[in-house]
Amino acid sequence: MSFPKKPGGKATDILQNLPRITLANLRPEPGSKKLWKRLLASHGGNRSGRGHKGERQRGNRPRLGFVGGSTPFYLAIPKYGYNEGHSCRPQYQPLSLKRLQYLIDLGRVDPTQPIDLTQLVNARGVTVQPLKRDYGVQLVDEGADIFAAKINIEVQRASEGAIAAIERNGGVVTTSFYDPISLGILIKPVPFFLRGQPIPRRMLPGEDMVPYYTNAENRGYLADPEKIQQARLALAQKYGYILPDISKDELYHMLSMRKDVRQIFFGLAPGWVVNMTEKKILKPTDEKLLKYYSS
Amino acid sequence: VMRPMSCPQFASSFAGESAVPSNLLLPTNLVDPSRTKRPPPSADCSLPVLRTCDAAIPAHLSPIQTWVETLERQDSEPVGVAQLHPDVFAVQPRLDILHQVEIWQRNFKRISHAHTKVRSEVKGGGRKPWNQKGGGRARHGSIRSPIWRGGGVSHGPRGPTSYYYMLPMKVRVQGLKVALSSKMTQDYLHIVDSLNIPTPDPQYLLDLIRHRHWGQSVLIVHVGEELPENILQATADMKTVNIIPAIGLNVHSMLKHEALVLTMETVQFLEEKLLWHDKRYTPLYPFKLPYSDL
Repeated sequence: MSFPKKPGGKATDILQNLPRITLANLRPEPGSKKLWKRLLASHGGNRSGRGHKGERQRGNRPRLGFVGGSTPFYLAIPKYGYNEGHSCRPQYQPLSLKRLQYLIDLGRVDPTQPIDLTQLVNARGVTVQPLKRDYGVQLVDEGADIFAAKINIEVQRASEGAIAAIERNGGVVTTSFYDPISLGILIKPVPFFLRGQPIPRRMLPGEDMVPYYTNAENRGYLADPEKIQQARLALAQKYGYILPDISKDELYHMLSMRKDVRQIFFGLAPGWVVNMTEKKILKPTDEKLLKYYSS
Repeated sequence: VMRPMSCPQFASSFAGESAVPSNLLLPTNLVDPSRTKRPPPSADCSLPVLRTCDAAIPAHLSPIQTWVETLERQDSEPVGVAQLHPDVFAVQPRLDILHQVEIWQRNFKRISHAHTKVRSEVKGGGRKPWNQKGGGRARHGSIRSPIWRGGGVSHGPRGPTSYYYMLPMKVRVQGLKVALSSKMTQDYLHIVDSLNIPTPDPQYLLDLIRHRHWGQSVLIVHVGEELPENILQATADMKTVNIIPAIGLNVHSMLKHEALVLTMETVQFLEEKLLWHDKRYTPLYPFKLPYSDL
């Protein structure tokens, strides 16, 4: 706008000449309050919309799904396990590279620090519900052509195209596993610290997920680092870009920061208790506890 | 019996910019005639600018200039000029939001304790009073049925009922902003540099208010725990002049009192608190728990 707008608009001009707004002057927006009308005679009264005699008027209709005696639809169709075990299937909230680039551009996510699920949730980029069988976030290829940021990101699943796009820009992707309790702690750290419990160990993946996280193709956190390097070269050849050398980068220290297998937060080890009110961290000293938490 | 509400149809008269609708009938004794509209300070005013906005103002809006007065003398000369943020003191006058917030404030605390007994709760009435047939009287099953005198009430109020509901936080915040803006536009808002008065006499305040034509009732809002003793003593026994802390500012009190008096620290506090809601994220957990970045 070339000239400044008057704050409040024309309404303030009119308001200056009208009487004072008081408790007696307020009224609701016309059309917002609908009056409840009593049902009398031909307007919902007499038989009250129930029809004439029979089961309909007398409230004795049979159960839902009953079709008069022949086999009802819900029994005639044979069962098939479409939804069998749906409550045990892990779900991953998709995060497109387009959305990630949007968050970085707006400054909501800091690319100079390792990007964790906590950072994404703090930036309100994704919403994860661990109670609805969400096991984390998955990276999706959408926006791979416009993605241009060098980041160290840790997600739970990643598609090949997304891994390629991030590594093409000199970044690092890692896929790691969080069990539901650790996930709940990861996305909302402050309510967990206020509970006063020690940070638990992150559990290792179950049998079915171990092959995924030990595979270098998926950049799993349990995979061999050498195999990961080979996989990076192979992916660069497949997608046709030159793999930039991270070790010569100025942010190499940040890009190589990775969490320990049993660690949930960067900088905090399992077994520690964080006191938010007094701003102190309590560490266990007993041998058995130390042995348990470092195993 | 509820009568259907028919609102007066205001004809739109936006052809003339500041015209009142032509078919609006107002009684002539509504406004105090000696209460003249004071023009806002112009740019070339000689008085010093005592307060500027700390928060960033959007580029397409300009800050609102108001006079800053003093309570120490009874004459009505302003002492300085203050700048107020337009997103708090000049928002759209949304009267429907004001109505919603006012009704919410009245009703969310309401618990009605009206309770009547149903036919099963009234004492007695288990036995059939007389035989079904042969008595010549109407057939009845209990002496406490609703058609009997002394019987239970069929559809009466049942127990303590709560009318609790919460309007969204941003609607309540917008209600405060709209109330402040309407006080500002209708010239009922006064900024004061401090609340020091020379005497603890309530008559002094009443004379000051009458001299400056502030209105029948005044609401003074302060921030912080330290207050000059004089004003506390003066307003202690007065019904029409009340002093409240800034955290207690609400739409009902603002509409009930005619004039609103804010100190400059109060304006700072209110702007900070009310503007925060425009830029905050949605809460992951209640705002009472600590956040590192909000």
